Amino acid sequence: MTMHWKKMRELSRSRSDGWQLYTLMIPAAVLVILFSYIPLYGVIIAFQDYKLGDPFPAVSGVEWVGFKHFLSYIESKFFARTMINTIRLSLMNLLFGFTTPIIFALLLNEVRNARYKKFVQTVSYLPYFISMVVVAGMVLSFLEINGLINNLLSLFGVSPREYIIYPECYPWIYTFTNVWKSFGFASILYFSTISGIDPALYESARIDGANRWQQMLHITLPSILYIIAVQLVMQMGQILNTNTDLALLLYRSSTYSTSDTIGTYIYRIGIQGGKYSYTAAVGLFMSVIGFALTFITNRISNRLTGYGLW
Amino acid sequence: MKKNRNAIREGSRFADAAIYFIAAIVAFITLYPLYYVLILSLSEPEIAATMRVYWFPKGLYWGGYEKIFEDVRLWISYRNTLIYAGVEAVGMLFTCCTFAYALSWKKLRGRSWINAFILIPMYFSGGIIPLFLLMINFGLYNTPWALILPGCYSIWYIILVRSYFSSIPETLREAARIDGANHYQTLWSIYLPISKPILAVIALYTIVGVWNSWYHPALFLTDTNLQPLQLYLRRVLVEQTISFTEDFASAEMLVAYQEEKISNNQLKYTVIIVSTLPMIVAYPFFQRYFIKGVMLGSLKE
Repeated sequence: MTMHWKKMRELSRSRSDGWQLYTLMIPAAVLVILFSYIPLYGVIIAFQDYKLGDPFPAVSGVEWVGFKHFLSYIESKFFARTMINTIRLSLMNLLFGFTTPIIFALLLNEVRNARYKKFVQTVSYLPYFISMVVVAGMVLSFLEINGLINNLLSLFGVSPREYIIYPECYPWIYTFTNVWKSFGFASILYFSTISGIDPALYESARIDGANRWQQMLHITLPSILYIIAVQLVMQMGQILNTNTDLALLLYRSSTYSTSDTIGTYIYRIGIQGGKYSYTAAVGLFMSVIGFALTFITNRISNRLTGYGLW
Repeated sequence: MKKNRNAIREGSRFADAAIYFIAAIVAFITLYPLYYVLILSLSEPEIAATMRVYWFPKGLYWGGYEKIFEDVRLWISYRNTLIYAGVEAVGMLFTCCTFAYALSWKKLRGRSWINAFILIPMYFSGGIIPLFLLMINFGLYNTPWALILPGCYSIWYIILVRSYFSSIPETLREAARIDGANHYQTLWSIYLPISKPILAVIALYTIVGVWNSWYHPALFLTDTNLQPLQLYLRRVLVEQTISFTEDFASAEMLVAYQEEKISNNQLKYTVIIVSTLPMIVAYPFFQRYFIKGVMLGSLKE
């Protein structure tokens, strides 16, 4: 029987339809080349003085300027502002957005009524499916001078303010909106890992006299440590990528001092302002640092927890 | 021993109450804003404008809905979104399945090169500016293709489908080949029928992604007749395209204008409901696929 199989397999291997596999790769390959590789190569405009109408992407017919744009970004006042704002928002997001799903999953795991648990869980995913525009629209109208938030705060004697125009409020509005939208969905991963923990572990811990808090601390938490480590590495790599999607909808010129990030800056100066080479340089600078950060945190994570992306 | 156990239980009762309470607050914070928008959309416009409604709509006013259903621009953008979502979902399934199928054969020559070819763009990207210039220089800018073509592939989904395909037992695949099926037939009649779960996951992720995205459409589409729903929403909700600086010849006109403004203000909430309702109604049915997708995505090769 095995002989038979082997023979048949060889027979099929020798069939000459291997070229079909390559034809099957064409559709995706064409799109990957067009929309991933050409833009990747097109980053060379960061070292050129590209103007609309110049050939793109091209090595000749465009003026090469070396690192001029990188230097002018680093020397400009926008460098410090966009960097600090980006890192501030990312760290706040890490502090709240990264921890909330973990705490939420650990908390909900302690709910014993399965239906109630399922209900809260399902509700928590819902905001993930609401579009960013709608979420931002809701935030903007709730924060209006005669909006919901001010109405509620006035019950406690707080005088109304138009929070969205104050730079000191912006990071909190941005972070809260982000966390509200994503914490439930981000917790799925932790839920599923927790549900995979061997119940025998809890059983034996209980026999040893561990209370719920101790069980959570010594069984549940260590079991999801691996996922936490991997998520943390991925988040660190994203530290210069704030949520431009949301920021562009919420920010305004009066809050630029805290709200203008690398992403929004590239959009405003590049797409709207037409300084393509300059902003391509800013973008390249940002992704190089992002990659380095991923690399470093991955090494640290590997050393500390034994887990990492690679 | 028994006494000890009881002690834990006693302590737990209070903890239980606290946990249930916190969970209830979380659910409330998540649901209430949406419910709030719903009651605002149904309240009298003057009341909705000051947001002095908390639990139930004040008055029952359908005017907002009547007005919004007459707005042609809403329906054009709605239609556009449906077209983009449908086309991109089909395109995404097509490119992912074909490419992943080829990769799932270990004997494919140059397989490691091809893997590198699709992995490199996952770690390095040119960013938004080169993509934008590409659209302009290739004549795609302000055409539906600028949105559709990049939306028809995803390296991440290719990897997901590939790992799913690779889990198909070797014997099953070989059996089809021995029966004389070529690669196209094997993909179509062996692979696809048993891969329905992952195909559903990818189609749904794509559709929800298209439905909710506004950034790429805003970059590439300036023609309002081509713009999807989210850009219509952005005009109404964020930019609030009603101008406040017009001159008024008479007091009556000013009053009329202000009434108009108030009811337009309410339209924001109506529009949110009209645009989000399909998603919320469909949500209980598709959410399990999303959870499945998260689990698949967390698998490491």
